Amino acid sequence: MSATKAVINGTEIKVKAGTTILEAARQAGFEVPTLCHHPELTPSGNCRMCVVEVEGSPRLVASCHTPLAQGMVIQTHSDKVLAARKAVVELLLTAHTGPCVNDSRASACELHKLAAELEVGPPRFQVQAPRFYPVENDSPYVRRDMSRCILCRRCVRACREVAKKGILSMAYRGFQSKVVFEADDPLNSEQCKDCGVCIEFCPTSALSKPVEEVA
Amino acid sequence: MVKKQKAKARDALLGMIKEQQDSQGHVSREAMEHLARSFSLPLGEVYGVATFYTFLSTKSQGRHVIRVCQSMPCHLKDSGQVVDWISQELCLEPGQTTPDGRFTLEVTNCIGACDQAPAMLIDDVVYGGLDPQKVAQILRSMD
Amino acid sequence: MPVKQLLSRNCGKIDPRNIDDFIKAKGFQSLEHARSTMSPEGVIEEVKKSGLKGRGGAGFPCGAKWELARKSKGPNKYLICNADEGEVGTFKDRYLIQNDPFSLIEGMAIAAYAIGAAKAFIYLRAEYHYLKGLLAGAITQSEQKGFLKGLDIEIREGAGAYICGEESALMNSIEGKRGEARYKPPFPPTSGLFNEPTIINNVETLANLPLILGKGAAWYQKLGTGQSKGTKLFCVSGDVARPGVYELELGSSLWELVDGQAGARDIKLVQVGGSTGRVFPADRLDTPLAYESVLGSGAVMVLDQSRDVVEFVHRTMKFLNEESCGQCAPCREGTEVMVEILGRLDAGQGVPGDLRTLEYLSQAMMLTALCGLGQAAPLPVLDTLEHFRSEYENRIGQAVFIRSLKALGA
Ligand SMILES: Cc1cc2nc3c(=O)[nH]c(=O)nc-3n(C[C@H](O)[C@H](O)[C@H](O)COP(=O)(O)O)c2cc1C
Ligand code: SF4
Ligand code: FES
Repeated sequence: MSATKAVINGTEIKVKAGTTILEAARQAGFEVPTLCHHPELTPSGNCRMCVVEVEGSPRLVASCHTPLAQGMVIQTHSDKVLAARKAVVELLLTAHTGPCVNDSRASACELHKLAAELEVGPPRFQVQAPRFYPVENDSPYVRRDMSRCILCRRCVRACREVAKKGILSMAYRGFQSKVVFEADDPLNSEQCKDCGVCIEFCPTSALSKPVEEVA
Repeated sequence: MVKKQKAKARDALLGMIKEQQDSQGHVSREAMEHLARSFSLPLGEVYGVATFYTFLSTKSQGRHVIRVCQSMPCHLKDSGQVVDWISQELCLEPGQTTPDGRFTLEVTNCIGACDQAPAMLIDDVVYGGLDPQKVAQILRSMD
Repeated sequence: MPVKQLLSRNCGKIDPRNIDDFIKAKGFQSLEHARSTMSPEGVIEEVKKSGLKGRGGAGFPCGAKWELARKSKGPNKYLICNADEGEVGTFKDRYLIQNDPFSLIEGMAIAAYAIGAAKAFIYLRAEYHYLKGLLAGAITQSEQKGFLKGLDIEIREGAGAYICGEESALMNSIEGKRGEARYKPPFPPTSGLFNEPTIINNVETLANLPLILGKGAAWYQKLGTGQSKGTKLFCVSGDVARPGVYELELGSSLWELVDGQAGARDIKLVQVGGSTGRVFPADRLDTPLAYESVLGSGAVMVLDQSRDVVEFVHRTMKFLNEESCGQCAPCREGTEVMVEILGRLDAGQGVPGDLRTLEYLSQAMMLTALCGLGQAAPLPVLDTLEHFRSEYENRIGQAVFIRSLKALGA
């Protein structure tokens, strides 16, 4: 196996050929934030949270799916990178409806954690009609609150790659995109069993274990 | 080799969904379920493809689909009025189908007929240089 | 004279349904010449020497791309002709197919020979379904005459999605999937359709090949400028007396095209390259049409002084928002936010800070979006903010005034 040499944040590194920029950075001890990426899933590259600056590239590069190339000079935390990541978080918060502040499920939301880390202030972006869907509590195994979904597709990939079921898919297009079961139907317990994999992989409170309604 | 054949099978999906659209006027749930079975795909995959493309509809459409171009070059030639003329002639708004099931009216993005703006597609035919008389005449000539 | 009739030499002169007409006009001679006297590598070398760059919008050097595919290992290589032509204001590929489909077929056969592809696809947009019969006829006739030995050309139709013109989304669509863009690398010449090495070229790029191999790279590269060789088909639309397709030598000025050829009067701005193209105010029309300055797909849209810049940008952004595949966050959410802000400004209800937000968001989208759509979507916003800033500023807190103007029909 040949090795790839590069420089990340001024540190020279040497990794196995084929390693992604993200893996290389983490090996070198630099924490690059991610949302849609999960080490157990194939990369998707949809959230663009993990962007880094690569010398000579006019645009930022998503580190989760880009292999490290020989001689790359990379910055993971330049001002340009931080500003872009912040904007991405702000954009994801824009369409992510619902008051998470008083929702106990939301305390573990990776998006809100990132917002805090990147010191995202009051929302700069607004849309009048964010994606809103009624909460689905039909399945005995999964409670779906798709208004909270950030379309990272981790559940779609986890259901296919980890649970080996593949019952979740992407539907519609653009801003209306949605993770659906069958023809945008409520989850049924015939197909969706109690494996709970999607819940585990969801970074937000979109998917959770159903709780008994408190009277 | 076996794996490859499976991948190749999938590539016929969009074409077969289109066939449904063309022969039935829409892609019904039954058709999607049938396709899902014959491609060994979850229904959601078929639904995902069917809802991505604007020339596919999961809801029933008229015998003729009118698509008025609303992109900039046609807009500059008053394509908004073309929609109005059709709305008046057929008493329907964009997105609707006439009660007799003859026409569905839609607005669409650039159809590549900007040199004949304002233009529209009815099914597969382009009509350009539209004016109220021409629109009325075209609509009346259709079955 | 910058006006040429090279690419369009057969347009209107031959019967596009009859291969004999095309053969009489020296059709297929370049292909025969290439196959009988040149190696595939030799063809690639010739195309590299000609300086031909992609005519689909991105402008990548054609020969260099082919070389990558030629060198890629794999039993199956694919050639795809991109006939999705979804860019607003672009209709030159339609013009070529309608008038001279055989030149495209000949170009495809040359490209397939060079890269070593036995299978080729033409991805035809759904809106152009009426061209399918003509194209299929041209393929069948070419086959019958024995010009397509060892090459199978199949037409695949789109189903209504601008993003499917983007090469990786196009491949997903041919694979029967949602037309979402793929991240790169890998690039198509190494791993494209069905994960095999693939070359995707625009209709016009391919139609240039018979010319280049017929007359030689040395002849071809005398046309145009340093970085832009050959001629280009331009599609002029909007406020002009004579909208249509014009073939000009690369490097001709925008003024020559819109004023000299198409007869524009009283110009306010010209957008070159479609919805994500660059915007030029009237005093910048001396700009040469070339890869060094501006080109894109060849769409050239003219707006006269009576037009409203903010409405134009709002409408353009609505298009991009409707056509975003929705996969990556910056484009999916960013175009929605932009439509919201531009809509507010269009209605005269802009709020202080809107212009700064537009600029901040533009920067982020250009830097982070996954594909060319999201990366280029902010360009018309930024260009018009630069050249027509006061028109935007006038939209902040002017709702009452604008409403009455619109009511008056002004
Ligand atoms: C959003 C988007 C839409 C595109 N649409 C088209 C198109 O309709 N036709 C086309 O030839 N290229 C289109 N392209 C460019 C293609 O991705 C690709 O670069 C081109 O087909 C390559 O061919 P060429 O090198 O011959 O130009 C588009 C690119 C983007 C980002
Ligand atoms: S439900 Fe969760 S895991 Fe699935 S796409 Fe939405 S945010 Fe991602
Ligand atoms: S983590 Fe890389 S794009 Fe989402």
